[in-house]
Amino acid sequence: MAREKYIKMLLMACASLSFLAILLIFLFIFQESLPAITRIGIPNLFSAAWNPDKGQYGMLAFLIGTLLSTLGGLLIGAPLGIGTAVFLDQVAPSRMANVIRRGVELLAGIPSVVIGWFGLIILVPFIARITGSAGYGIAAASVVLAVMVLPTITALGAETLRSLPPELKEASVAMGATRWQTIRKVLLPAGKEGILVAVVLGMGRAIGETMAVQMVVGNSSQLTLNPFQPTGTLTSNLVTNMGEAVGNFRAALFAQALVLLILSMILIVSIRFITRKKEA
Amino acid sequence: MDARKADRIATAVFWAIGIIALGILAFIVIEIFARGLITAVKPSFFAGKPQALKEGGGVGPMVVSTIYLVVLTMLISFPISVGAAIYLAEFAREGRFTRFIRFCLDSLGTVPSIVFAIFGMTLFLFYLNWRTCLLAGAITMALLNLPVFLRSAEEALRQVPLTYREASMSLGADRWTTVKKIVLPTAMPGIITGTILPLGRIMGESAVVIFTVGVFVRAIPLSPFDPAAPLAGYIWYVQSEAVVPDYRTIVNGGAAILLILLFLINFGTRRLSAYYSKKKSLGG
Amino acid sequence: MDNDDNEHKLRVKNLNMYYGDFKALDDISLDFASRHITALIGPSGCGKSTLVRCLNRMNDLIDGSRVEGGITLDGENILGAGYDVISLRRRVGMVFQRPNPFPKSIYENVVYGPRLVGIKDKERLDSIVEDSLKKAALWDEVKKILNRSGQSLSGGQQQRLCIARVMAVQPEVILFDEPCSAIDPISTQKIEDLMAELKKNYTMVIVTHNMQQAARVSDYTAFMLVEEQGDPGKIVEFGDTNTMFTNPSDQRTENYITGRFG
Repeated sequence: MAREKYIKMLLMACASLSFLAILLIFLFIFQESLPAITRIGIPNLFSAAWNPDKGQYGMLAFLIGTLLSTLGGLLIGAPLGIGTAVFLDQVAPSRMANVIRRGVELLAGIPSVVIGWFGLIILVPFIARITGSAGYGIAAASVVLAVMVLPTITALGAETLRSLPPELKEASVAMGATRWQTIRKVLLPAGKEGILVAVVLGMGRAIGETMAVQMVVGNSSQLTLNPFQPTGTLTSNLVTNMGEAVGNFRAALFAQALVLLILSMILIVSIRFITRKKEA
Repeated sequence: MDARKADRIATAVFWAIGIIALGILAFIVIEIFARGLITAVKPSFFAGKPQALKEGGGVGPMVVSTIYLVVLTMLISFPISVGAAIYLAEFAREGRFTRFIRFCLDSLGTVPSIVFAIFGMTLFLFYLNWRTCLLAGAITMALLNLPVFLRSAEEALRQVPLTYREASMSLGADRWTTVKKIVLPTAMPGIITGTILPLGRIMGESAVVIFTVGVFVRAIPLSPFDPAAPLAGYIWYVQSEAVVPDYRTIVNGGAAILLILLFLINFGTRRLSAYYSKKKSLGG
Repeated sequence: MDNDDNEHKLRVKNLNMYYGDFKALDDISLDFASRHITALIGPSGCGKSTLVRCLNRMNDLIDGSRVEGGITLDGENILGAGYDVISLRRRVGMVFQRPNPFPKSIYENVVYGPRLVGIKDKERLDSIVEDSLKKAALWDEVKKILNRSGQSLSGGQQQRLCIARVMAVQPEVILFDEPCSAIDPISTQKIEDLMAELKKNYTMVIVTHNMQQAARVSDYTAFMLVEEQGDPGKIVEFGDTNTMFTNPSDQRTENYITGRFG
């Protein structure tokens, strides 16, 4: 019928919006960062020197800051998240599991500025006191990120475990395996791909997290591997400087946004790879 | 180590992890309320006029901005996300096109919010020459929310038993009528529960707000084309500029208000969802 | 309309049916007598449900399904491109294996079909509800609780509600796809009585794996079979129910009916 065809097209347009959006995002960010590639040049853009006043636009310090804080966040957040997922699905009594499920949902909804604020007024002074540093840096950013990836990893991890066929667990338990043996030898290996996807998506969240990190990382442009030294990340640098930047400076920032975009696309492709391997 | 002992240790470890996870949440919630609740409930704060330089300012226009932005975004986001979900769940045949759309959705889902923010700024402020305003933020936010909202809506639609669709079609309804009269009402409680995450994200999002909506206003925004200052962005702005001497009070109070709003969203959507389930089983 | 079409409401001729590359039905030819009950029997997977779903084109809903051959309703080909499937489904109603009332009130379940064709008048809808529920032998049980959810009824009542829902559309043919497989014996009895009553005005087709049921309710019976796994379903024998059950002409029918396989 004609009406149905028309409605179907309208609904299809809604779905196609996702394509339009991702296309436009790429086009705009790419176009705006083009001057950076042509006028500043790739070597300068990826150098260690960030000094926009002198025409130095190297993002290496931020790139390393992003990677280190993401790694740190996952190092704390992933075991905690996977552990909570297992606890939720296998160990906790159902009332407790419900409380945790709701709690994790709530944690996911707490605005990142609020988490960043607590990082700033509680965590940073705490780190400063025990290390004698200023307290800002990758360590503080990692802890904040761990809190932020926790809900993602827990929710997706628990979903993976829940969707495993119950026969798996029954078979293992029937053979006299303890709960821990069942978890370690049967459930976690069976849910490996799903849990990996959960961690990768958590990683995506950590790479992209902006405000909370910006508030605790120190916002310096120095390249450092010391987790207690102030530094910056791609996102924190963007939010700090994008407001005022013009000309080459702005183009350099867009180039950093492009790098962020490419990093997140790499994650998506690797998730495809993980899940396809499972199907094959 | 014998298996039983290992099992006992592992159980203890998992309990500890669960309690740590809950502890983190409890710590944050308690800290927010301990530091900010008293400020938050003062009418001179939550409904008061903001101050640019002096202390004693309120966040009235910011609270209104937040609610305005949430409503405006939902008005755009709900029909688009649910529409796209209906397409994928009810109309599309699985194939190359749907796989491509899902790939786009997954990609969109991992784009960092700061990139959305910069995209929104480029599109609305540079290309369309708008000033920062609620609508620019709402459209950007609707795109940001599309993947997560769509997924929950599609999930809710797929929960509707196939036999309902068959019964409806066998009585001579076309697909759209079936969706409108049977599938959508049945899925509605699930779709509504699925708005909790997007609603929370719109309320708490600051990167997009900073670049597309604005960080400070004196008056309550009226038109969607007015600049506004949703609370999450304002909090960030206040603490990063630290111009007003009582910025700590404002951030603590603002955080408490955001948390209260989050509780209201959770409570409200669950109530609405329950109302729909009840209405459905009573007929109508 | 020739005389044969008058006697036979629905006629299937040389029908082949495919799901993608899989052939599900092979060269089916079968005529359904007007105002009689025809039963389709056979072991599970023999294609009897597939066949009955061709009659109101419910298989259209399945991606990749396709048919060859002809099905006529009152002499008119229903498989033709551009044939109005919506009105076909109003003329050929269907009762499913599991009772599937909508999550709406009893009243709303019954008026769903009439509302689709734009009937809004309250009095008219009320009378349709009463009439349809009476035809489905459910009226006395539910007349005081019409606003209760259809899903609050027992399984057997739910199935009769589904029959009432079909009645409200005023179909000419009713397809029953194993209507009693999910309900208790007493309700099954009620539905069988109901079918005998409805036979005065409607042409009916019933798919069943229960041979006693086929013997009790139907006038004609078709026995279907899949020879080897992966083969399409075929009709082995078709005829008068009494003859089929007492003196089948095909050895395979005899084997099935006497419970030697399937």
